[in-house]
Amino acid sequence: MNKKEIAITLGIMCLVLTCAIVIQIKTMNTANSTASQTLRDNGLRDNVLKWKEKTDNLSQELKTAEAELERVRIEATQNDTTASAKEEELKHNNTLLGLTNVTGAGIVIELQDGKSGSSILTVEDSSDKLVHNDDLMSILNELRNAGAEAIEINGQRIINTSSITCEGNIIKINGERIGSPFTIKAIGSQALLYGQIIRSGSYLELMSDRGVNVKSVQQQDDIVINKYSGTINYKYMKTVDKK
Amino acid sequence: MIFIAIIVGCLIGALIGLNSPIVPYTYSGYLAIAIIAALDSVFGGISSILNKTFDLKVFISGFFGNAILSILLTYLGQKLNVDIYLAAIVVFVGRMFNNLAIIRRYYLAKFIKYRDEKKNAKEKQN
Repeated sequence: MNKKEIAITLGIMCLVLTCAIVIQIKTMNTANSTASQTLRDNGLRDNVLKWKEKTDNLSQELKTAEAELERVRIEATQNDTTASAKEEELKHNNTLLGLTNVTGAGIVIELQDGKSGSSILTVEDSSDKLVHNDDLMSILNELRNAGAEAIEINGQRIINTSSITCEGNIIKINGERIGSPFTIKAIGSQALLYGQIIRSGSYLELMSDRGVNVKSVQQQDDIVINKYSGTINYKYMKTVDKK
Repeated sequence: MIFIAIIVGCLIGALIGLNSPIVPYTYSGYLAIAIIAALDSVFGGISSILNKTFDLKVFISGFFGNAILSILLTYLGQKLNVDIYLAAIVVFVGRMFNNLAIIRRYYLAKFIKYRDEKKNAKEKQN
């Protein structure tokens, strides 16, 4: 092989090598941004999982603590009639506050956001067809007005401190996000509740006219409503002593 | 002549690389290991030139053969769920350092010899 051939082969090899290196550097430059993006996403996901686990652990602890409290209470009131009367009162108050699972006869309402574009004849506002927080509050009012004793919306027990707020495209009850479809359970006099909800001119009828999909209103005999899962605290209010 | 060829090759290669489409991210690992293998043969070639045992055929076959083999091994490792490319990197980079050490010693020895000769020449002049 003479010098010319050697020079040409070396040149070709250098060409291939630099070409590959430049392509690789270019690839890594463009890939870096996406790689770090996924890295950040992974970090966030890890964080979410970590916090979720923490919350689960804490609620588990709360559960065991509650069971322990119950056991201690029973033990303490076993041989004491006044204490057992107190225990009864405590139970009663907890039931009133919504801190116990309750069951009874009542009605179940199922609602769903209506589909937009179902009518081509009229100009429509698709917002009309959605279930808003105001709607839930109005229904809640009607149920309470008819004497509902326990109410639950999508698994969220409504107690005296509950709020129903609009958070963009979702609704928050007790600080928990819920969304369509909605299942509203209410325990109370079936006749009164049912009559209030389906009477002509009721809020539900207005909603139905507006385009909200009212799936069903049923009377059921053994509705189970779970207790409020959060805690009720107060810091500012004090009892007034009568003088 | 050879140096001109190398420089021209590098320039043309860089130009082609700049204007070529990028490799999908999945395959960039293969390209990287091929580059490491090729660089290893380049340093091997330089050190063999210094040792006067350079053979162009061996050099060319090592350059392309190592690159292709390392790509194949990496692919096999991915199929078997073993990081074979790590082994390839260890071997290639280790050899690279060996060859760089040989090159460094050669030029160091040359430099020291050159300096001593200069000194001797000066002493002779005096």
